[in-house]
Amino acid sequence: MRPFLLILAAALIVPSTAHAQVDFTGEWGPAYHEDRPERIPGPEIGDYMGLPINESARRAADSWDADRISVVTPYQCRPHSADYGMRGLGNLRVTREIDPLTQRLIAFHTYMPAWGSERTIWMDGRPHPADEAEHTFQGFSTGVWDGNMLVITTSHLKTNYYRRNGVPSSDIRKFTEYWTRHRDFLTVVTVLEDPVYLTEPLVRSQNWFLDPGQQLQPFSCEYVPEVLAPTADAVPNHLPGTNPYLMEVADWYGLSLDAVRGGAETMYPEYRQKMGPPHTTPPAHCERYCVCSAAGGCDVKPPKPRSR
Amino acid sequence: MTSRWIALTLCLATAPLTAQGPPPAAAPPRSAKAAAPVDFTGYWVSVVSEDWRWRMVTPLKGDFASVPVNAAGRALGEGWDPKHDEATGQQCKAYGAAAILRMPGRVHITWQDDTTLKMELDAGTQTRLFHFEETAARKTPPSDGRATANGPLTWQGYSVANWERPPRGVEVQNAIPVFSVPTGLRGRSLEVTTTRLRAGYLRKNGIPYSDKTDVSEYFDYRKHPNGDEWFTVTTVVRDPVYLDSPFITSSDFKKEPDGSKWHPTPCEAR
Repeated sequence: MRPFLLILAAALIVPSTAHAQVDFTGEWGPAYHEDRPERIPGPEIGDYMGLPINESARRAADSWDADRISVVTPYQCRPHSADYGMRGLGNLRVTREIDPLTQRLIAFHTYMPAWGSERTIWMDGRPHPADEAEHTFQGFSTGVWDGNMLVITTSHLKTNYYRRNGVPSSDIRKFTEYWTRHRDFLTVVTVLEDPVYLTEPLVRSQNWFLDPGQQLQPFSCEYVPEVLAPTADAVPNHLPGTNPYLMEVADWYGLSLDAVRGGAETMYPEYRQKMGPPHTTPPAHCERYCVCSAAGGCDVKPPKPRSR
Repeated sequence: MTSRWIALTLCLATAPLTAQGPPPAAAPPRSAKAAAPVDFTGYWVSVVSEDWRWRMVTPLKGDFASVPVNAAGRALGEGWDPKHDEATGQQCKAYGAAAILRMPGRVHITWQDDTTLKMELDAGTQTRLFHFEETAARKTPPSDGRATANGPLTWQGYSVANWERPPRGVEVQNAIPVFSVPTGLRGRSLEVTTTRLRAGYLRKNGIPYSDKTDVSEYFDYRKHPNGDEWFTVTTVVRDPVYLDSPFITSSDFKKEPDGSKWHPTPCEAR
């Protein structure tokens, strides 16, 4: 009888702050209602719109060649890092790890089938490791509650990309996430700070809807030489000033050249008064990625008008 | 076994007792302004790091990317004619409540009174009112033509607001208090539901929403590690006429120290 009373007493004195404030657990489906052509089929070459990047990032991205993935096969299975993964989006499962003795929340675990990405967000107050500790694609994450908002800090990331057309991110970047749940919608704001490639924090927000009952699939990836490499150590690239494809994005969508080059200034409303004219006469009608299907894809070419 | 049940009963009976005492004097309910868990007032600027080419410039005709618009909506969008909108005085079709927070611009938020939060927007020089209380007086159309719950359809519609409670599952309190500690009680988000909308555009290139549309918005405030203050509004647009599914976006706003960059402009159709 005494142990039973002790258990009851313990249940009464466990502090409430040790428990989860909001339940994020379950399966979530991604809402690709922003930047879908960039996130599903992939960004256009030279599209740096809306990114507060510096000249170093711009030059690195200008050198990028899509054949790099086909030739340098290890790139084929390189996962999205934790920060890009939350932007690229995908089906998401969130689970809780509970200490069986104290019933306190130890960690949230997330799984996204794309590249089998798994993250752990430690909620038990442990510190981040020393700067010299291992860097990984998913980094090291800790979380704290701010009311009903989960605030996550992630460090120890490997180099990756802010946009998967070669816009680089450094391995000393850190990012903060703000998770909120509203009814059956999950919104995650990511704030990225990178002294190497960003001139001010990159703030983006992503949305999921609750989609219980998903059986998420395992992920596998094998290297396959897709393009014959000219030499064994070739890394496809464009030297400065030689990339012939950088203007395409401006011409396809009727934009000025300075706008597509990005930079912090271009993110603010007053930039619209400074923006130059379109590089070429804009098309009269959308010609690329105009309609996206519910299943996720976007057609490169618009559907032909129905004959009457 | 009997002793065990006695112990359990004692604990269950004791827990509520700790909250008992002399009945508190009935305190007047706090107004929405007094009860505000966070302060949204001030000047805020939209920071366009997402959907850049659909927000900072007018997209090309026929560009429906990312919007779950159905065939009927696409057909209407293909007929977009900004000249016609200008000629018929409908330049503000893309500045309605379902779309206006995607516009690059600034918002100025103040309390109009203890139960009404006012949001002014310099893009299109629009004003939205978030009503925290539904009163009979508000349901009576005012003489100045403002939107009401039963009034005419307008670009900004009629918005009802509340400080959102966190998700709780079923509303009845069935959890046995001895075995669980209630958590998640610190809701601090602003929830706004808008109806009575005049038909408009989700984007400036004529992607339509109908007058059957309703909009749910969730405003979340936060402070960044560098001290900057931001809010993000998650917007859910539901339109049974032109959308296949709810249209979900989230828009980010950064606080500014003053209104020196406030720049009201008229609606533009192109």
